[in-house]
Amino acid sequence: MTTNKFSFIILLTGILFSGCNKVLDLKPTDKIQAEALFGDPEGVKLYMANLYYQLPVEDFTYFRNGFNWNSGDPNNGGFAPAMATDEAVHSEFGDFVGDGDFNCWEGSYKLIRDVNLLIDAIPTLKIREDEKAALTGESAFIKAYAYFALAKRYGGVSLIKASQQYTGDAASLRVARSTEQQTWDYVLELCDQAINNLGDGVSRRASKWTAYALKSRAALHAASLAKFGNRAPMSGQAVNDKLIGLDASLANGYYEACKTASLALMNAGKFELFMPNPANAEAAAENYRLLFQDPGNKEVIFAKGYTLPGAFLGHNYDIWYQPAQVANGWPHPGRMNPTLDLVDTYESYDNPGHSAPIVTSTDGNITDYNGFNAGRTYIQFDSPNDIFKKKDARLWGTAILPSTLWKSIPIIIQAGYVKPDGNAVIRTNEHMVINGTTYYTYGAASTSMYSGFDTYGGNNTRTGFSFKKFMNQTAPIVPGWNQSTTDFIDFRLAEILLNYAEAVVESGTGDAALAAKALNDIRKRAAHTTDIPLTSDNVQRERRVELAFENKRFWDLIRRREYHTEFNNRLKHSLLPLQDLRALPATKYIFVRVNVPNSNTQTFQPKSYYRPIPGIGSNGLVQNPQY
Amino acid sequence: MKKLRYIFFIVALAAGLASCEKDNYDGPTAGLSGRFVDVKTQELIEQDIILGTTIEIIEHGYASRTPQALIVKTDGTYANSMLFANTYTVTPVRGNFLPVDSQVVNISGQTTLDFSVTPYIRVNDVSILKTGTKVVATFKLEQNVTNNVKKIGLYAHSDARVGEPMRLVASEIQLNAVSDPSQVYTLEIDLAANSSILKPGNKYYFRVGALIDAGEAKPNYRPAVRLDI
Repeated sequence: MTTNKFSFIILLTGILFSGCNKVLDLKPTDKIQAEALFGDPEGVKLYMANLYYQLPVEDFTYFRNGFNWNSGDPNNGGFAPAMATDEAVHSEFGDFVGDGDFNCWEGSYKLIRDVNLLIDAIPTLKIREDEKAALTGESAFIKAYAYFALAKRYGGVSLIKASQQYTGDAASLRVARSTEQQTWDYVLELCDQAINNLGDGVSRRASKWTAYALKSRAALHAASLAKFGNRAPMSGQAVNDKLIGLDASLANGYYEACKTASLALMNAGKFELFMPNPANAEAAAENYRLLFQDPGNKEVIFAKGYTLPGAFLGHNYDIWYQPAQVANGWPHPGRMNPTLDLVDTYESYDNPGHSAPIVTSTDGNITDYNGFNAGRTYIQFDSPNDIFKKKDARLWGTAILPSTLWKSIPIIIQAGYVKPDGNAVIRTNEHMVINGTTYYTYGAASTSMYSGFDTYGGNNTRTGFSFKKFMNQTAPIVPGWNQSTTDFIDFRLAEILLNYAEAVVESGTGDAALAAKALNDIRKRAAHTTDIPLTSDNVQRERRVELAFENKRFWDLIRRREYHTEFNNRLKHSLLPLQDLRALPATKYIFVRVNVPNSNTQTFQPKSYYRPIPGIGSNGLVQNPQY
Repeated sequence: MKKLRYIFFIVALAAGLASCEKDNYDGPTAGLSGRFVDVKTQELIEQDIILGTTIEIIEHGYASRTPQALIVKTDGTYANSMLFANTYTVTPVRGNFLPVDSQVVNISGQTTLDFSVTPYIRVNDVSILKTGTKVVATFKLEQNVTNNVKKIGLYAHSDARVGEPMRLVASEIQLNAVSDPSQVYTLEIDLAANSSILKPGNKYYFRVGALIDAGEAKPNYRPAVRLDI
């Protein structure tokens, strides 16, 4: 019996175990295997979508905190990169460029790793050869984009050219920084790889053209660093090892690369300026606004699209930056305040080729920022925006000027009034009755009826200008996070034309006539009728006004090494529109140039031309100077 | 039961803390201080408190070569009284004087280290006076290198540590030329034109500086003057 029982157990064990088949070798069911993902072209598309999402595009979700700032709680006060430049101030914050701002280290290397994994998989995919070439080109474009983002922030960086395998020794994964020159050359080399492998269609994905555009921008950046690096000399180990800094002799080679890439786009026959011949300045202003409100036109080379509202999908430009009067219940509008400094930069149609600072008094003094002075004779205007009448159409398309219409409402921006006795009341909530009519310092009775100078909620502009470019005029604000779906133009023809003009004028070589035409074509689109000569100043002024708020100014100041001279104890400026009640019964306005109220000076430290490299304790890299 | 839990908690806490020891490392007991002195005149060399001359020190015996920075005071002295006794490599960097070599210093106790250096520029015969509604500064320049003088400036601030990087109002001339030792340079700040910043009835500090055109050089100064405006 015992033997029987024993045999039975053995038999049973045998039967049971025969059913086991490597029971512990299960594949995880919550993760997709590499072969399954990359083996299917649809899987590659999905993976590609994720790579594009990670692309460091400096768009509506780019803030000093980083990229893709549109999570479930994206509240960062709406401090846009433009506010760290001379383009704008925040209605409340006075922050500037800090060590922790505008970094991209971890995100860029994560993207590079993900691209390298795809590059590994491409040869194994069961797709046509031309499709493989397209994937190779697209990968190169994404990688170039990531390394460009790194190079312009950190200088020479670790070049991870192929995917790394972890074999248990963390130290073997460390890659020392390459020189800054090697890094820029690698960016351009990747652009060339992309150009050679990609098709020439125009879509929302990378093409030959987007790669040319990236090369144009990157080469111009590198060329400028080489040419202007000596404006801000640095020292330290990173300099000695050439991890930062480019030799001046390299400038012309990079300018040449910029010219070639720009020309390819200019001669492609696929891109043209949107509405190049406006009927008048008014039409030009509206065209300029439309170009950005709906970027579906032939000027666009590469755009980042937004389709659906929601966390990680929409963005927050409309809620942060539309004027207070159209807030539609949203509690924090009106954060973007274009500065008088920017407004001054725009040309006047009367005086082509020169900035036209706003003249407010008969003595013509534009450097007195001490506030209203009863002893000065201010020029009286019939409306709060008459003073801008002859200014470049793009000012009208970029900023909401006092008492101009936005969403069919006159946006009231008034800082105060001058009483009939000659005393001014400025930035104080007051009203007075004269002959039965009530006059309000802020131009209207309550906070919901004006958009300027009241400190209430930080919702009013403190510069005298509100923000228009990129704003959605057609739909009311939806008072919640991530509800805006306006697309962002990353590369457009106007930038390429200006890149070309700059490369020609700074290098002194190339087709100067063509470069001058490029510059003036853009001005013609803004209703200018007189051509101006190709000079460095003219190109830079044109960049400032044409590309304002497209997050280009920050990098222009960096690459031309102008940040530390432009921002040395700098105060930005405001224009106060005041109703002049001394002129009653006539309705007249005067304007006062002042330092931005409640602001402090800002100084750019030369070390900030390079960002600090994170984690040098573990990655063993040489740190940039003075961090 | 409640009492038991309380006792248990106390016992657990005591057992946990028993393994703790008071920090067994000594705090920093050493220090380094000193002065930047003009090798010719034996006077202190005036500095900026922010974005000015820095002394980098690297402590020996560690893999990390990340320097610590000592800030130099406006009057040209410096002090850090909380350093660990050790051997250090000491290098003044980004100064307003001809560069000096690194030196290895054994810091133990409160160590003194003076630097005898040649300033890029000596700003001499300085006079800063209030004349009518203006503050007028006159001075001469004596430069010790052949480089251009990039700019000269008169700086005003409510704080005594006024300088090129720390000013409310500046009046500057971009010289971009070699200075003439016999020339009297004049700079003025128009008080009326800056009345919203330099408020009448208050006292402000004024200081003249001259910046040589060389690498990361910092401006040279004379002591600030306090004026009632």
